[in-house]
Amino acid sequence: MKRKVLFFISAGLLLLSFYMVLVFVPTERDMGIVQRIFYYHVPLAWIAFLAFFVVFFASIGYLIKRRPLWDHIACASAEIGLVFISLMLVTGMIWAKAAWGVWWIWEPRLTTSLVLWFIYVAYFIVRAYVVEEERKVRFGAVVGIIGFLNVPLVFLSVTLWRTQHPPLTIFTDGLAGSMMATLLVCLFAFNFFYFYLLAEGTLMKADERAVRQLKEKSMRRNP
Amino acid sequence: MENAGYMLAAFIVIWTALLGYIFVLSRRQARIQRDIQLLQETLGRQD
Amino acid sequence: MREISKAFIIAAKDLLTEIRTREVISSVVVFAVLVIVIFNFAFGSNPQAASLVAPGIIWVTFAFAGILSLNRSFVLEKEEDCIEGLMAAPISRESIYLGKFLGNLFFILLIQAIVIPVFSLLFNVGFFNIELVLVTILASVGFASVGTLFAAMAVSTRARELVLPVLFFPVITPVIIAAVNASAVILEGGVLSAITQWLGIISAFDVIFLVASYLIFCFIIEE
Repeated sequence: MKRKVLFFISAGLLLLSFYMVLVFVPTERDMGIVQRIFYYHVPLAWIAFLAFFVVFFASIGYLIKRRPLWDHIACASAEIGLVFISLMLVTGMIWAKAAWGVWWIWEPRLTTSLVLWFIYVAYFIVRAYVVEEERKVRFGAVVGIIGFLNVPLVFLSVTLWRTQHPPLTIFTDGLAGSMMATLLVCLFAFNFFYFYLLAEGTLMKADERAVRQLKEKSMRRNP
Repeated sequence: MENAGYMLAAFIVIWTALLGYIFVLSRRQARIQRDIQLLQETLGRQD
Repeated sequence: MREISKAFIIAAKDLLTEIRTREVISSVVVFAVLVIVIFNFAFGSNPQAASLVAPGIIWVTFAFAGILSLNRSFVLEKEEDCIEGLMAAPISRESIYLGKFLGNLFFILLIQAIVIPVFSLLFNVGFFNIELVLVTILASVGFASVGTLFAAMAVSTRARELVLPVLFFPVITPVIIAAVNASAVILEGGVLSAITQWLGIISAFDVIFLVASYLIFCFIIEE
């Protein structure tokens, strides 16, 4: 029931964002129409980081409490985070191509997101190659914790590295009112959407676990 | 109106990805429900 | 303090094993020298290019050599089921981590001590400043800290040669960036004060991930 509510709020806000980004907000002076990518690129980044923080928190929760629900939350959030950060990277690349003519720039936020992408791919690779279920979950939790702790250091080192080169600001500071409103709507839209996906994903992982247990039960009766 | 192509590309990518992800999730959900039903029937027969 | 001496005993055990078999040092050193030679084919024809990329080459070489060395550190334990033996002994999990960490750190530093003169020879780049030694030691601590944790994980998966690099390389990014940049500054004639920020990053990495790995390690080897 609550999921349906989340779904409709998200869908509504996402549709509203569609209108605001495409129609409502005025075109930015310097960059032209491509700048509108900004209204999705930034919230995608924020929500991806929120997702990975949830992975961090839930991983710690699992290691302390050992209840499967914590892992379901962590795994679902990692999956959603990976989708969002991939989208953030792709939109960043499209923006870079439009603004600077190259598909990739070693800008701190983009580079940090790339490293983060690899870390969360590693999260799934580790889980994929561990045989025992309990150990898989434990190892995943460790990756979720270490990976998140790494983020500030990566950002710091890349920022320091790139100060030796001319700065490339992706994000324009000082937003007009309508621009800020559009950005906030997109942020809220993705936020609600994330929580909806998290709810669905967590329950699905719980169901998958139930399936596994039923299979084991059935195999024990019929060896 | 230059770079409108890029703008369009970004939009298509975002919405395709998000809708695609929801689609993948619903397919997974359907399979899980099928599995649960199958297993419950099997276990019911075994009892 | 007795826990520390137990850690030293574990490190000493690894050392003794290596002295008798010499398998890790020889293969890793040969590998590292091969990597450097191959890089030389890529860059060596242009002497200016060589000095520009020298810091990058040496640290990429150390990263790859580090993976090899770290990989081996748990393979023997796994194959002979030594982990269970270690856990049955009256020694805390944390001490096991410290012991393996110290052993890995020692091997990494030893390999670097052998490889660096070879590198200096082949690339005509002097690597014998005290500042570079400091950078190398601090970075090696970083390598060994997360490397020991990840190696313990990787050895319990079905694809350890895949899992360790996939985990290690993204997480080690801040250390690589900082070490390469610091080395470049020093090689161009910089002084210690010029690289304080880079040293700060590496030191922060060392502290954070030594503590984190120390605390998390017990979750990896629990049975």
